[in-house]
Amino acid sequence: MSKYRFAIDVQFKSSVRDPRGETIERVLRTEKGLPIYHLRLGKSIHLEVEAENEVEATRIVHQACEDLLVNPVVEEYEVRTL
Amino acid sequence: MKACIVVYPGSNCDRDVYHALKYVGVDVNYVGLDDSLDGCDLVVLPGGFSYGDYLRPGAVAAREKISHEVRRAADRGKLILGICNGFQILIEMGLLPGALLRNSSGRFVSKWVRLIVEDVDTPFTRNFKSREVIKLPVAHGYGRYFKTDSAIRVVFKYMDDVNGSDDMIAAVTTEDGRILGMMPHPERAYEKLLGGEDGLKLFTSVVEYLRRNAS
Repeated sequence: MSKYRFAIDVQFKSSVRDPRGETIERVLRTEKGLPIYHLRLGKSIHLEVEAENEVEATRIVHQACEDLLVNPVVEEYEVRTL
Repeated sequence: MKACIVVYPGSNCDRDVYHALKYVGVDVNYVGLDDSLDGCDLVVLPGGFSYGDYLRPGAVAAREKISHEVRRAADRGKLILGICNGFQILIEMGLLPGALLRNSSGRFVSKWVRLIVEDVDTPFTRNFKSREVIKLPVAHGYGRYFKTDSAIRVVFKYMDDVNGSDDMIAAVTTEDGRILGMMPHPERAYEKLLGGEDGLKLFTSVVEYLRRNAS
């Protein structure tokens, strides 16, 4: 068994309003004068999976996303290896 | 007739619900994470901040062993009431459709709100008048109802925009009306001493419904 490290990026779907992101974007633009638009505040989850191989580890990560980490009604996610 | 209140780590409205149910003469007990719901006619998931709202409000609680018991009770046709965080848990369990997101203002909102009773044909609302306007307190940071099912039965609507919910939705129920999820707190408004008693009818509705069906 080996350990594999992953990062999961969770973001709201584009159809879902993100008031935190909107506030941060507004401050950057109006208070800091930076030309920043469409800021979305998601979350990043880092974890380690113990598995026989990387394919199996990736399958387990996706299962964790579907079982708990991501709400498919309003969120989408991407997985990358670390 | 027995009611069970599920106490998750971080629940904080469990005692309020307990007293509200006692007030209308129901035999109530608290239920913990490893307990059973056998023999319960009404299961209440109270408000609070189960697991500190980690990840998403209700997400962790919805996967606890006791929540599988709640699902079994729902399958057996028992009445399930989720208030505030309890509503969030029911949605995370998939027993009610949609999602509850951060309020559109980005702020926690804690105040009395006016609601319209949209559906009086449920075990929880039979003592209200149709389209009656009532006042109940809300206290939540994640109450913005995101609608995914156009045929959803809406039970209460906000009269004023409180949190940015789709269609001003404050409470929804299943097709058979046996599972109710609501953001406002009826257990904080069941007698005058609390500042209002509009929540009382919800509890008397359930009690009368259960009594009628027990006999």
